[in-house]
Amino acid sequence: MAKAFYAVGFWIRETGQALDRLGCRLQGNYFFHEQISRHRTLMNIVDKGPHVHREAFVAPSASLTGDVQVGQGSSIWYGCVLRGDANNVQIGSGTNIQDNSVVHVAKSNLSGKVFPTIIGDNVTVGHSAVLQGCTVEDEAFVGMGATLLDGVVVEKHGMVAAGALVRQNTRIPCGEVWGGNPAKFLRKLTDEEIAFIAESAAKYSSLAKEHAAENAKPLESIDFMKVLRKKFAHQDEEDDSMLGVTREASPELAPSSATPAQ
Amino acid sequence: MAAASMSRLSRRASASASAGPFLRRILYSTATASPSPTASSPPLSPAAAAAAGADRVRWDYRGQRQLVPLGQWLPKVAVDAYVAPEAVLAGQVTVHDGASVWSGSVLRGDLNKITLGFCANVQERCVLHAAWSAPTGLPAETLVDRYVTVGAYCLLRSCTIEPECIIGQHSILMEGSLVETNSILEAGSVLAPGRRIPTGELWAGNPARFVRKLTNEEIMEIPKLAVAINDLMQSHFSEFLPYSNAYLEVEKLKESFSYPL
Repeated sequence: MAKAFYAVGFWIRETGQALDRLGCRLQGNYFFHEQISRHRTLMNIVDKGPHVHREAFVAPSASLTGDVQVGQGSSIWYGCVLRGDANNVQIGSGTNIQDNSVVHVAKSNLSGKVFPTIIGDNVTVGHSAVLQGCTVEDEAFVGMGATLLDGVVVEKHGMVAAGALVRQNTRIPCGEVWGGNPAKFLRKLTDEEIAFIAESAAKYSSLAKEHAAENAKPLESIDFMKVLRKKFAHQDEEDDSMLGVTREASPELAPSSATPAQ
Repeated sequence: MAAASMSRLSRRASASASAGPFLRRILYSTATASPSPTASSPPLSPAAAAAAGADRVRWDYRGQRQLVPLGQWLPKVAVDAYVAPEAVLAGQVTVHDGASVWSGSVLRGDLNKITLGFCANVQERCVLHAAWSAPTGLPAETLVDRYVTVGAYCLLRSCTIEPECIIGQHSILMEGSLVETNSILEAGSVLAPGRRIPTGELWAGNPARFVRKLTNEEIMEIPKLAVAINDLMQSHFSEFLPYSNAYLEVEKLKESFSYPL
């Protein structure tokens, strides 16, 4: 009986594939043949390969190429590009490089000097930042959409405001905020703000753990979760509380500690 | 000093391949437990790196998943909304009917909600994120309401955009900012935390400043742009089949590896 079902299923699939081929042929030159993704999260260039700590989170859509080192508890978020092809990129521990950022090293620049990119510990680099051949020391903050050019040094507790463009060989001293295009000194950071930087980096690394767990799931467990969700789809906490019903939630779907429920 | 010598040891160990992976891992972890590993430790050999990073970063034929559920939160996408295959939606994200999310965008609702309204569109390589709390004290969720056009490379963090607005390309909206109905933010502008753009105004610059009032004709044009992009989205939407046929490729690969199907 099972064999018969298998055979029927096989026919249907074969027909489906034949239909797919027919459809492609009808589309002529316009047809698109979908291949499996050839994106590589970690890619080496000849002998220089990226080196990622076991407890770091690298999103599957990020791309680490060449001589890149990522320390413990760091997180590289979705769509980031870290390209250590011309020189090396070092990222310390507990640092987060947020979505769509680019960290790169210059092959050559106007002054003829080549710098590696060094990012220290507990640094927060905001979304879509561009860091090229610069040094960011421990517990610094680079805002969203900021651009740091060659030879820029952001000292410990330094802060680059969102959307800033920091020009070549600028040094941002400890505890100062720089912003604008080109970046200029805006003000001093208060002690609370300095504390907040370290705190946000710590928060981010716990958040990264959750994303890492989710992204590392194999296909089987993803499918299992899908089924589980479908089963518990009718449950709505607000609705239940109005009706006075308490239901047992599935333990797999329970909120975790890193992102507390509202 | 100790860390440097330890990592040198581990390097030698991996080069000679006499030490097992277990020993190598121990040596490696002691080397990185030093306060500043990047400054003191020289680059490790690829073998040691592979042994250390093998269990976290894996190659997956599916690449990045489009929808990443976190805890009990699953991104919700309406049936006729277009989410490009390269876009990433994680956590509490709701995409309503007719909305479109274009390639390379990241909508990350891990700390707070993100909502895209009817006919809203978020263009290429945008990042929408929501912070845990906003400086204004209002709910820190990111809300992009109906008929809003968010240009390419925009960064939105815990901001509210009311119906019928245009956010220009490459602009940055920081925590707690509010864009009221029928206003336009020019390309490349930066809206500071907690700033509000009143209705019917044009703002621009870094940091964003008031430029002028919008005329009635211009206000009438705003939803038209969103609808035009919605029309464009339909053609992209129809190009993608409901199910991917990349599985054929995987089956071929599995066969070539003589892997049981």
